[in-house]
Amino acid sequence: MKHQLLPLSETMHYILLALNEPLHGYAIMQTVEHMSGGAVILAAGTLYGAVDNLSKHGWIEPVPGESGRRKVYRITDEGKGILAIEQRRLQHLLSLYETREYDEKT
Amino acid sequence: MKKLRLFANLLAEEKWLNDRLAEGYACDRISPFGSYTFKPSARKMVIRLDYQDYMSAEKFEEYKVTYADFGWSHLKGGRWGSIQYWQKNADGRDEIFSDAGSQVAYYKRLMNYSLMTACLFFIYTMIILKGSIFHALFDIKASYLTNGLWEREGSKFWRAFIFETPFAMLRFLPPWIFMIACAMFLFSCVQYNNKKKKYV
Repeated sequence: MKHQLLPLSETMHYILLALNEPLHGYAIMQTVEHMSGGAVILAAGTLYGAVDNLSKHGWIEPVPGESGRRKVYRITDEGKGILAIEQRRLQHLLSLYETREYDEKT
Repeated sequence: MKKLRLFANLLAEEKWLNDRLAEGYACDRISPFGSYTFKPSARKMVIRLDYQDYMSAEKFEEYKVTYADFGWSHLKGGRWGSIQYWQKNADGRDEIFSDAGSQVAYYKRLMNYSLMTACLFFIYTMIILKGSIFHALFDIKASYLTNGLWEREGSKFWRAFIFETPFAMLRFLPPWIFMIACAMFLFSCVQYNNKKKKYV
């Protein structure tokens, strides 16, 4: 059965992509803002809930050894697998856009 | 400035607080039993209310640090399933939820919270009234247990009456609070469904 979080929401998608490098909460927001060209600005509650949810599913994990008040997360192999599924889905969608454009031209 | 106010609905409370802040105040302290302390503030402030279920000490710390990094200061809220009060300077990034999913999830938490409140008062009412909730709603005299209280006269009556009133209220108010909690639960269901319809 398809996972309940799939297809990924924009918030989840950006967070998973951002966590290719280890980041703490606020840095995730900054990275996502930068990656999306300012289009996606995560608020505190949304970020906290999404990070909590993603780590519950084992798609991201706290980086061990990072002490201090801020927890640092990174993507897990399972999370990378999810991104691969999403990439195939989006590539397929994009290919449909492209054939449609091709149809219109001929 | 100190204000006393009781709210049955979290969204109404949030709106009321922000209306005070818009008058040029910042919230200083929120005490139990609806006591809010404000102080004048040169900067425009905003308050947002969140509700969170039980969190482990570690999760609660992470929750608070995340909000603090975004500029929110924690006014009130524990980790055993309670309302969280957050305040910050208004700077255009004044929401705590930025997508549809987290807003709908928030309204769902509010619905579960009000259901839990109603259930708690239901259990309490059942225990103290042994099940006769609807009868107890309108029979205030039955809340007074002193034998022959209503036959007494003059100061003897008033002394006994005033002495027992706080205890009688503990018996008389819960069924009413239970009814209000039920109404609030239905209201929060409607709000949740409206939110869901708007987005999904």
